[in-house]
Amino acid sequence: MVPQFTLQAPLKLPPHAVTNHLQQLWEHPEEGYNGSATFTLVVWEPAWLEQHLARLGLLQDAVMGMQRPCLVDAARRAIGAYGLPSATAPLSSTLAQALATQPGENGHYEDLRGQTIDGSISELQPHRMITLAPTIVSDQPLDALVAAYCSLPEDNSPGGSVCGDVLVFRGGAGSIATELDLLPQLIPGQLPCWVLWEGALGEHTDIFERLAAAPRRLIVDTALGDTEPSLRILAQRIAARQAVSDLNWYRLGGWRESLARAFDAQGRRAALNHVVQVDIDVEGDQLCQGLLLAAWIASRLQWSLRAGHRQRDSSVYRFQRPDGFMVDLRLVSVPVGFPKPHAGSILGLRLLCKPPDGRELCVVLCGEASGCMRLEGGDISSRDLVEEIVPLIEGSLEVQETRVLAGGHDTTNPLLATTAQLADQMLAATAAPTT
Amino acid sequence: MAATLTNPLRVGLRQERVIPPQCLIIFGASGDLTHRKLIPALFELFLQRRLSSEFAVLGCARRPWSDQVFRQTMAERLQPTVAAHPQAWEQFSQGLFYEPVDLQQPEHLARLAQRLEQVDRQRATRGERTFYLSVSPAFYGSGARALAGAGLLADRQRSRLVIEKPFGTDYASAQQLNRVVKSCGQENQLFRIDHYLGKETVQNIMVLRFANSIFEPLWNRNHISSVQITAAETVGVEQRASYYEQSGALKDMVQNHLTQMLALTAMEPPGRFEPESIRNEKAKVLQAAHLASPEQPWACCVRGQYGSGGTVEHPLASYRHEPGVAPDSTTETYVAIKLFIDNWRWQGVPFYLRTGKHLAKRLSEVALTFRDAPVRLFDAAAGGVSANQFVIRIQPNEGATFRFEVKAPGSGMRSRPISMDFSYDESFGEPSDEGYVRLLADAMLGDPTLFTRSDEVEAAWRLYTPILEGLKQSPDKFPAHPYEAGTWGPAESDELLARDGLLWRRP
Repeated sequence: MVPQFTLQAPLKLPPHAVTNHLQQLWEHPEEGYNGSATFTLVVWEPAWLEQHLARLGLLQDAVMGMQRPCLVDAARRAIGAYGLPSATAPLSSTLAQALATQPGENGHYEDLRGQTIDGSISELQPHRMITLAPTIVSDQPLDALVAAYCSLPEDNSPGGSVCGDVLVFRGGAGSIATELDLLPQLIPGQLPCWVLWEGALGEHTDIFERLAAAPRRLIVDTALGDTEPSLRILAQRIAARQAVSDLNWYRLGGWRESLARAFDAQGRRAALNHVVQVDIDVEGDQLCQGLLLAAWIASRLQWSLRAGHRQRDSSVYRFQRPDGFMVDLRLVSVPVGFPKPHAGSILGLRLLCKPPDGRELCVVLCGEASGCMRLEGGDISSRDLVEEIVPLIEGSLEVQETRVLAGGHDTTNPLLATTAQLADQMLAATAAPTT
Repeated sequence: MAATLTNPLRVGLRQERVIPPQCLIIFGASGDLTHRKLIPALFELFLQRRLSSEFAVLGCARRPWSDQVFRQTMAERLQPTVAAHPQAWEQFSQGLFYEPVDLQQPEHLARLAQRLEQVDRQRATRGERTFYLSVSPAFYGSGARALAGAGLLADRQRSRLVIEKPFGTDYASAQQLNRVVKSCGQENQLFRIDHYLGKETVQNIMVLRFANSIFEPLWNRNHISSVQITAAETVGVEQRASYYEQSGALKDMVQNHLTQMLALTAMEPPGRFEPESIRNEKAKVLQAAHLASPEQPWACCVRGQYGSGGTVEHPLASYRHEPGVAPDSTTETYVAIKLFIDNWRWQGVPFYLRTGKHLAKRLSEVALTFRDAPVRLFDAAAGGVSANQFVIRIQPNEGATFRFEVKAPGSGMRSRPISMDFSYDESFGEPSDEGYVRLLADAMLGDPTLFTRSDEVEAAWRLYTPILEGLKQSPDKFPAHPYEAGTWGPAESDELLARDGLLWRRP
């Protein structure tokens, strides 16, 4: 069922008038309007890239705050137009930062952030969606936009409509920070509240800290920022027992499934106890996804991290297996000509097992579009190449968000918790000076 | 069987659908099913993180329990599972509530509605409710009426009603019950549960047939000579004598579980993998099925009743000596039936169904026997060539086996049968879920694919009506043949197949 919505034209109000307006809006339950008792979703939606692309006239569309194909296309055009390295990932913060330095006001654009709701999210009938939409004009005063919506009642359905409301606070980040104290009174305490941080982790930390306070549940995307702050903040939040979901972790689903499938066959399962080497290739130098995949493998196989060091284009980690043997895990940054939208996507994985019986096993997984790049080289042709599996799963951002919101948990998935902690340790190991 | 290694990479990787926040209301919460199946299944879903933090279970029964007593009782009855996961149970049990309710008392229903509102607010369950009637079948109709009367089924999108088996006691009562429940809610709100359909391998029948191109061309009268569907139990009637005396094996097992296996085995491919497409095909094939001799149903149906048996160390009492069973009971504990399906795919292919208690082995399976090769070029090492056979094992050791002839080693050209085996436990890194886990999840997700629709239920009862009527009118034609407990059933059952030149499988 896809609910239909009657979306009012949003009413523009001074921020301090919002609370009263909402009270008036919902004070007539006798007319059959009941606020849905579901959840509140607070979204930090900077959409820096989208705003700059629109400002520079490279995106001929309204700014929506959604990762649409036209946004990725415009980003790829911008990479060419401004002479950036072709290995720049279209949705990376690098591109947004580069465009921010470009002068120009070639485009007049409409800002519709927070005013449209993806169908899969609206189907969950959020009680309230609050979008914080910082503008690229840093001193822009804050506006509040308020709209109520109700899903249309089904035929013959008794009872009133289930309704919610949409609030957008739009202005410079400084103005948002100033008015952030308004937020607690707009978030009903008795309902779960998710904070979806659609910006890079590590930017506007003051706002992040106030917005993402426990027990609010966090949804972040470690693909959007730099490696170090992204993983550090993820691990910190998990260590503080906050419920955190990482969209980058969901994107790894296909890789994890493919690798697990390679060892489902009973005859191969024992080989997992005898892994001697793992190579993971990632696009560019954003290492979050690669580190999460590496940490997931290591934690599932109960390896202990012993050392790590950074070389020019790679990081090498030494783990100890439960039986005492050492395993080398190499994470290699590979520049690619046509990168995937998100920075740091996995390109390939090779896992070598040497059981004592001498029957070596080499499992190679390759990305769907890119095939196996560096991993095809080396001496694997002399080994037993058993599997070449293509990961298939990459749902849209909204689908992944919906998945988190639909089955809400007030704790972090234990697999992600263990993985993120180890990934953070791996990062710290390579940051330490080599002895 | 040797223990298999688990795949550590497989943990947490199931592509499971997420169950939205909701409240499951169990009527009959003080009964066996609640602590034996329902709460364990819910706890398993919780451990798998498939239940949202915003979930609640409201147990309802006539006993004047409190929330705390309900939680404590469940904790005691779920040992040692609770002891293995103390922290998780602590969290899970915070979502367990109890309300004393007699469904026949309108004021109780009014109080229940208020309690549900309160639980909704307390647990943020978004008004999503699944009502589970785990009460005596006699109260299914009145229970549904009471819920509808209190307005609790009015929200067609967010309220669902799960009804346990048996759904009716014959064709007429099933029709009547369908009329009642359909007046209380829409078909998409009604979930008639048959826990066999929750078993991984039962669902795998569809995947095997419709996801592979090698089986479907052979899956018809041109290549298959007969089909045997078996659900054998090694246990006796145990504590269920009062129910079993009224139902017997035919109503307890054949009309529902075996008939569902028959439908999945024989149905046409659905146009889409959608609940209604699948249920349409299942209903169609059941409507085309009939007893091999509907005019003389006793000729295609063998009833049996276990006598004493077992060993000196483990003697087994006869059915009539079980506690709660009448000493002159004629209730069948074994039944074997021959059916045909009148459609292009299966015309002339006999389907043999059998089930029984205190049989030699616990197993459920579907065995398809293929026609003999048209020309026999090779001698068989064992005297006779065995027909090719494809066996889908429902339980235990879920999987499938394909039996075919190969050359026996040596200088001659003699053949012998071998088996290619697929086992779920060995092929996948983790065991499959118990049936109730899957079915409860599906009901809470509002997915009716694995639940029986009204026309399916009625078609299944109609199929056995000649036997049920014959039993009433001429019981002497349907004697319950005695068989020794621990064997494969009465000799008369073997004769049913022997008349067609066949043998029951004795795996």
